[in-house]
Amino acid sequence: MGLKEILEHHIVDHIWSWVNLGPLRLPISKHLLMMGIASFILLVVLPVLIHSRSKALAPFRSMLEIIVLFLRDEVVYPNLGHKGAEYLGYFSTLFFFILVLNLIGLVPYGATATGNLAVTAGLALTTFALINFAGIREQGLIGYFSHIVPKGVPGWLYPLLFPIELIGMVTKAFALCIRLFANMIAGHIVILAFISFIFIFGSLSAVVGFGVAPISVGLVLFTLMLELFVAFLQAYVFVFLTAIFTGAAMHPH
Amino acid sequence: MEALIRPEFGLTFWTILCFGLLVLVLSKTAWQPLMTAVNERERAIKHDRTSAETARAEAEKLKAELDAKLAELKGEIGRRMEEARVSSEKEKDLLIEEARKSAAGIVESSKKEIEAQKNEAARELRGKVAELSVMAAERILMAKLDHKASADLSSRYLAELEKERPELRLGN
Repeated sequence: MGLKEILEHHIVDHIWSWVNLGPLRLPISKHLLMMGIASFILLVVLPVLIHSRSKALAPFRSMLEIIVLFLRDEVVYPNLGHKGAEYLGYFSTLFFFILVLNLIGLVPYGATATGNLAVTAGLALTTFALINFAGIREQGLIGYFSHIVPKGVPGWLYPLLFPIELIGMVTKAFALCIRLFANMIAGHIVILAFISFIFIFGSLSAVVGFGVAPISVGLVLFTLMLELFVAFLQAYVFVFLTAIFTGAAMHPH
Repeated sequence: MEALIRPEFGLTFWTILCFGLLVLVLSKTAWQPLMTAVNERERAIKHDRTSAETARAEAEKLKAELDAKLAELKGEIGRRMEEARVSSEKEKDLLIEEARKSAAGIVESSKKEIEAQKNEAARELRGKVAELSVMAAERILMAKLDHKASADLSSRYLAELEKERPELRLGN
């Protein structure tokens, strides 16, 4: 079994069956199951944490509160202004959804749904929709499209800049999609490569294989810690960039 | 390997659906209660802080007022003390002066009294002395007129007389 099969087995989605919903042919897959589990966790755990008054849950409630307040004070308000309070629910949900999906990927038998281009594309599309929705809501349809090209640009450049800016909007969302996908998949590939080292060296000689094993496992553990950090970091980066783009669409100056 | 980057767009639909529903549900069940609680607490903290600040400002104002009053009272006390000192000094001088004056008066009057008494005593003494001397002289004269002596004297005189004038001799 080569590295290709191993990688595809561990990282690529497993589609179990298909559902036909009108013209759409929708897969029932492992990553969908992971999203379902993540949604279930969020839907159950967050309200319970928030509404409970028990002493044992108080630290977790405080952590949750700290994260949400951080998102509000450091991400949403600086970029969106104080009208951003309405969008705080979106950003908080986005952060925790991506975070939980990332973390489920680190659990045994879990799979990283955010390491699937289709999933990150879905998240990027919602961001794209949010950017345009917030921009149009704030400035009106005409105002929004007239502000797509920055002010102070000579008139003859408009025909050139308008398509470029339109492409830029798509590019932002596309970059978000690729960034999250690549970051989540990279750690897994590195871990699989480190573990494969054991078997590559083991095929030379069993002794060398056993000698390499501790080093490999150490490196894997290190990478796993790094992935844990990246799970939080990428959730934050995705939310932060979404906030920057939304803020830029709302306040074009 | 291209399976890694071949997106299955059916999953994109699921993602959007899933995420959209999560946003709707969690906004109602999680974020709204959380933010109400947080805002409530922030408002309470702000309220507490402002009330504490006003209380502190009030206390400071009161303290300044009291300090000013205290300083004023201190000044007043000093002034009163000075006044009392000056007036007591004056009083003392006055009393001493009066005492001196009255003492002088007493001395004067006692001198006069003593003089008068002395004169009186002298006069009395003089009378008494005169009386005493008369009485003493009387006594002396009485003592000089001793009976025997007188008798002797008188018999001697008589003898002398009889001798001179024998016719006048009595009897025998």
